[in-house]
Amino acid sequence: MSVRTAVVLAAGEGTRLRPLTRNRPKPMLPAANRPILEHVFDALIAAGMERIVVVVGYKHDRVQEYFGPRYRDVPLTYVMQEKQLGSGHALLQARSAVDEPAVVLNGDRLIEAEMIHDVIAAFTDHDGTAALSVVERPDTRQYGAVSLRNGEIVEIVEKPDTDEYRLINGGVYAFDPGIFAAIADTPRQEGELALTDTIARLVERERVRGVKTGGMWVDATYPWDLLTVAREVLARGRTVEPEREPSVWVDENARVHESATLQPPVVVGPDCEVGPGTVVGPDAALGRNVTVGANTTVSRSVLDADTRADAGSTLLDTVTGQDVRIGAGSVVPGGRAEVCIDGRMFDDQHLGAVLADRVRADGCVSFAPGSLVGPSAHLHTGVHVSGQIDEGVEVVR
Amino acid sequence: MCGIIGCAGRDGDTLDVLVEGLSKLEYRGYDSAGVALSGADLDVCKCAGKIADLRSAVENRDLAGSVGIGHTRWSTHGPPTDENAHPHLDCTGDVAVVHNGIIENYQSLRDELATAGHRFKSDTDTEVVPHLIEDALADGADPESAVREAVGRLDGSYAVAVVVAGVDTVFAARNDSPLVLGLGEDAYYLASDVPAFRDHTDRVVYIDDGEFARIDGDGWTVSDESGAVVEKPVDTVEWDPEETGKSGYDHFMLKEIHEQPRALRQCLQGRVDELGGQVDIGDLGTLNPVAVQFVACGTSYHAALYGAEMFREVGIPAQAFLASEYATSPPPIGDAFVVGVTQSGETADTLSALREAGRRGARTLAVTNVVGSTAARECDHVLYIRAGPEIGVAASKTFASQQAALNLLSLATTNVTDGREIIAALRDLPGDIQEILDDSRAREIAKRYRDADAYFFIGRGYNYPVALEGALKMKEITYEHAEGFAAGELKHGPLALVTENTPVFAVVTGDDERATKTVGNVKEVEARDAPVVAVTDGESDVERYADHVLEIPAQHPRTTAVTANVQLQLVAYHTAALLGRSIDKPRHLAKSVTVE
Repeated sequence: MSVRTAVVLAAGEGTRLRPLTRNRPKPMLPAANRPILEHVFDALIAAGMERIVVVVGYKHDRVQEYFGPRYRDVPLTYVMQEKQLGSGHALLQARSAVDEPAVVLNGDRLIEAEMIHDVIAAFTDHDGTAALSVVERPDTRQYGAVSLRNGEIVEIVEKPDTDEYRLINGGVYAFDPGIFAAIADTPRQEGELALTDTIARLVERERVRGVKTGGMWVDATYPWDLLTVAREVLARGRTVEPEREPSVWVDENARVHESATLQPPVVVGPDCEVGPGTVVGPDAALGRNVTVGANTTVSRSVLDADTRADAGSTLLDTVTGQDVRIGAGSVVPGGRAEVCIDGRMFDDQHLGAVLADRVRADGCVSFAPGSLVGPSAHLHTGVHVSGQIDEGVEVVR
Repeated sequence: MCGIIGCAGRDGDTLDVLVEGLSKLEYRGYDSAGVALSGADLDVCKCAGKIADLRSAVENRDLAGSVGIGHTRWSTHGPPTDENAHPHLDCTGDVAVVHNGIIENYQSLRDELATAGHRFKSDTDTEVVPHLIEDALADGADPESAVREAVGRLDGSYAVAVVVAGVDTVFAARNDSPLVLGLGEDAYYLASDVPAFRDHTDRVVYIDDGEFARIDGDGWTVSDESGAVVEKPVDTVEWDPEETGKSGYDHFMLKEIHEQPRALRQCLQGRVDELGGQVDIGDLGTLNPVAVQFVACGTSYHAALYGAEMFREVGIPAQAFLASEYATSPPPIGDAFVVGVTQSGETADTLSALREAGRRGARTLAVTNVVGSTAARECDHVLYIRAGPEIGVAASKTFASQQAALNLLSLATTNVTDGREIIAALRDLPGDIQEILDDSRAREIAKRYRDADAYFFIGRGYNYPVALEGALKMKEITYEHAEGFAAGELKHGPLALVTENTPVFAVVTGDDERATKTVGNVKEVEARDAPVVAVTDGESDVERYADHVLEIPAQHPRTTAVTANVQLQLVAYHTAALLGRSIDKPRHLAKSVTVE
């Protein structure tokens, strides 16, 4: 028995990544210069999937428009989760589209194709009804911890308050179609259906295989994590652009001035323009149609599609959303900062600034390390920004 | 206005291939449909209604044959009825014909055939063709010669496909209506357009006017009027057939509205260099026109008005003409360069106008979306807008792509201004349109005014064609009364129509004299209690006089005319959706109008 169908859960917003999720769900945020979800699809296709069912919900238009009806010749079927009522509920929406064994995974985490292979092998070799990936982590308290005995899951605990566990649920599953009935039978907790609750019930009643896997397992929880994700993607060369020099990937429809310097690792997406005297990299990713003016420096940064950084700007440790305009002479010096998000403090984060979709910075704007600027905020010429700026706010001197 | 299909060499699934192919041609017409399969006998099934109705009709029938033809119709001669649906048969029932186009001399042929004893069952012009073939066969001609003889008697436009009982060949001929062959493995296809057989092959041969084609299970042949074989180039098409899927959207039109950022990226890709201020559209850059005449119909005409304005702005005399008028009452052309704007490249009126211009010695350019279309092949030059296939009958993304392509044309052919500022604005378009798609309040406006008596649209300069296009979209898909006016014209008549139940959409961008004067026109409307919806970038003070605002990002006046239109597309779409209209296939309309 082989598994050729996958269900990808891509309906959630990812609220901790606000303000970057104002206009799109977390799976559509950039891992370097392509959506996280695209990397997930790549792994699924490498693992032999021939059909992918995508559960969409929050800002689903963005997923559908970006991928359309197929990705790399693999047909995509979209099913809608109108209300985000947990991962089990999300999977249940795919019931009408799936009547065969299927791989199930989240659309917002970068994983290796081998992990999918291994889960399928554990599922088919042991004739089980379910199998899941298991990953080793020193601290399991933020995750779903599991205990594994002879390749079988014996316990699954969400966010345990002890440190006795070493293994966590890797979030890649293989199920037979019976999973849908099992989810439907699972009691809701506060109106929500978590897939792990169903798995915990399965563990009690029948055999659930667990398979330990390694390799990339990267997730973005907070906006600055996108810098780490980009670094992982570039280090592993998970790019689609041609490699011009070692670890310098430039799309054939990008224009890079001959006097500009690309420092590896760096990726420049389609339709980009990079001006004279400009330095891009290391660890920099330019999304589609990004413009970097003359004599500008962009390092350890992710600039998402349609963003413009005008002449003489400096952007270090910066994450931008889409269509951000950074006026001439603006500076994000970068460095370590204390970042406050939703009343929670994060010490010593390596973050220059996060600028959400369509932030407008007129010119000579400077950003203190750790600045978080909300969507469509308008920063007038010469202002100094620090801390958190809300959506649509005008900042004047 | 119709779509035709034929296939030969399929292994037992001829019927499925034909019906599936017709569903891909439905954009060309959808008021009746039918198929004919030829084995030992001829089996025909046809009915009024959409392809779905044909699908249910064939379910109960045992239709078989190794070759077949099919048709989806849009009525020109005779109402959509079962009788008028194609294929049409001769008196013996052994000859079946499908046809796209208009046979101009059909009345005299029909009179002649009727006098000779032929019985006609339909009101169509097409039906003369099988009877002509019947006569030729009765005189001893072989099927291919009989088809040639019959086609030789036709005046007008046609793409016809013919099957004859007991003959495992499909015969076809073309004059002024599109026809393309598809070359599969051991099976061959012909159709009005590539999507009809794109599931089976990407290798195609475009048939030219005056040529005949035949396909059977063993191969294909194209010949000229004298019967001599013509060597034809085989092209490979790139469009993904699945791209025609709705990918989760309720309507193709909504999908295509959302595809505009992508379509514009494709249009601009590799053609603009912002840092260098250059546009590269190949040899078109060397044309240096002294004057430009645009010919186009419908939405493309509005793009042409916009294009003409751009040339005039840099001092080159330019005008846009309705192609149907131009073809029959052409203006003096002089040294003007004639540009046909046609999404499909098959719009009969535009082709006529371009041919008229060509006859008068003008250089011609086709601005089109369809590679290998008739306009692309007949004009001296072609500029592709690269929007990808558009299925919704009401044009949306192709209008934006036409606007962008015409910007490239004006920048590349006129060296008057520094292109940097405009190129930057063009490159910002995908992001600007995405902003509107993310934040538009068009649905609220649609909800509020869905029961209005009429909708009016006003604008000046680059926004005048936007006002016309906004009104056309509203008419096409909501079936409600809508009109667009040059803002200054309102007081010269149309103001009499304005009431508290006729919302006026005012497109006001920038803060120049045009904006100031349009704001003055808005005040005239407001004084007559009409609700005003301003589509604006916020640069002028129009918001003070408007009841509602649909915002667009501030940009160059050329590109705000693109983004403003997106808001109006969304208003029309949501109004039509709330009224429960058939958005992708409005009544009486077809995607590409291949009749004059």
